[in-house]
Amino acid sequence: MDFRKTMEEKYLSIVKHYIQTQSEQGLYAGQQFSRRALEQKISPEEVISLQKSTMQELMPELPEEVWHSYDILLEIMTGYGFAFREHQSLLSKQQELKNEIEIAANVQETLLGTSIPSVEGLDIGAISVPAKQMNGDYFHFVQDGNHSVNVAIADVIGKGIPAALCMSMIKYAMDSLPEYRKDPSAVLGSLNRVVEQNIDDSMFITMFYGMYELRSNILHFASAGHEPGFFYCSKTGEFKDLKARGLLLGVDKGASYKRYEQFVEVGDMIILMSDGVTECRTDKGFIERETLISYINNHIFLPAQEIVNNIYRELERLQHFQLRDDFTLIIMKRTN
Amino acid sequence: MEIQSCVTILNEWDIVAARQLGRNVAKELGFGTVDQARITTAISELARNIYLYAGQGQLCIERLHEQSKTGLRIIALDKGPGIADIRKVMEDGFSTSGGLGAGLPGVRRLMDDFKIDSNPGEGTDIRAIKWLR
Amino acid sequence: MNLSINVENESEQKIIVAIAGEIDAFTAPKLRETLDPLSIKEDLLLIIDLSDVSYMDSTGIGVFVGLFKGIKAKGGHLKLVGLSDRLTRLFDITGLADIMDINSEAESGVE
Repeated sequence: MDFRKTMEEKYLSIVKHYIQTQSEQGLYAGQQFSRRALEQKISPEEVISLQKSTMQELMPELPEEVWHSYDILLEIMTGYGFAFREHQSLLSKQQELKNEIEIAANVQETLLGTSIPSVEGLDIGAISVPAKQMNGDYFHFVQDGNHSVNVAIADVIGKGIPAALCMSMIKYAMDSLPEYRKDPSAVLGSLNRVVEQNIDDSMFITMFYGMYELRSNILHFASAGHEPGFFYCSKTGEFKDLKARGLLLGVDKGASYKRYEQFVEVGDMIILMSDGVTECRTDKGFIERETLISYINNHIFLPAQEIVNNIYRELERLQHFQLRDDFTLIIMKRTN
Repeated sequence: MEIQSCVTILNEWDIVAARQLGRNVAKELGFGTVDQARITTAISELARNIYLYAGQGQLCIERLHEQSKTGLRIIALDKGPGIADIRKVMEDGFSTSGGLGAGLPGVRRLMDDFKIDSNPGEGTDIRAIKWLR
Repeated sequence: MNLSINVENESEQKIIVAIAGEIDAFTAPKLRETLDPLSIKEDLLLIIDLSDVSYMDSTGIGVFVGLFKGIKAKGGHLKLVGLSDRLTRLFDITGLADIMDINSEAESGVE
């Protein structure tokens, strides 16, 4: 059991065997020894000492000079051992940090959690996947009785922890503006002032805000510099951009956000995304919006949640399972 | 019972003298070659810190005999600038930035016991023990 | 990642910077380090040539927004020229094209 106690014996037999046979099998035994030694955190200087005592046993008649040379090797490998132990300690520290971030990510998920509303006549699917552990993308649904379903999708510059912290601020700013909730341009205007006052000059947030009126089936929307979504017209089978002009949140205190409207018929879809969707890089360059449209077309008859799941899986595969940016995709389909 | 011998660290050659002192004592107390190498590496790091950051100081070696235990204590003393944030210099990775107190976490790992006391403007007092097994 | 930044002081009040390579989360800090100190000057005209920038993500936008605000606060002017179609689109979508001086003279120079 105790590797340390038996390692001298083991090492001796490995060296002995190899000196006799010089076989690959003998070398393999050496490699296995090193694996055990690493597991047991045997330091390089201890291995040198093993080698020296082994050689003293096997060939005691070697000249003095050889034994002296081991002193230099031992000194040098003690230095490597110094670095080896630092590496070990950094590894365990890294694990600690990882655990902490994981907890933070869970906290974030709870803080920013939103549920996809189930509404008569509207099929909604949404997916949001962080590139790293914490998500700088954000989406939120609010259902206002039978009147409307509101949707927000936002993207903080950059990713990781700073972006995630920023998102929490946005979420609470939004929660504290209930009276404006219905009007997309007022929502973005208020959030812009909050963000402008609270974040660093080189930070910013893009956001698309939509209010889907259930009785009239009109989507009212406004955008603060957000990647434009698509509108799919089922009658013609065409996709068009949900164009909306508006400045990023947090750049100019006085920015105003124009409200746009889109009438939605049965079978039509609203597709919203973060730039992680269109900026996903593959071997052949960027995903073009056309490519994304063709992916949507491939799954168009599936339920909304399955469409977004499938598209995520396909884009993930195209990028060899390494997301460069947070990824968020929302599809709202009018069913009757 | 404690017997102490010291080397004054002024230049790089004094690092060698401190190592030599430490090695002699370690050998005499019966430390094996691997532990001898670890002790001298620790001495090198501590003496080098004095030489680089404090300008001058003392490196002392003590023989420790406590009940059934025998050990060696390294004491590194200087009246240099001192360390403002000891927690930080005891963090791994800090040494790579080449600041004050390079390699202290490494020294702590080489030894069995490690104590540091330092005040900005007053200097630094480091004591590290290796026990004979 | 590779990014090269070439700063040329045309005069006391006019600086031209040529950037080549990719601007992303890895290279943006270097870009910010180089450009931010320039924005301290009063009444500066800073022209940044992005003709040889092959890629820029939102982190890069962040650098230019910060720079734009800084220079504007000191009464200066920031001009971005030589943007590719992809870069131009980025500034269009974000609404920055409406408030910043983008491609105002080099329009024809872009492939």
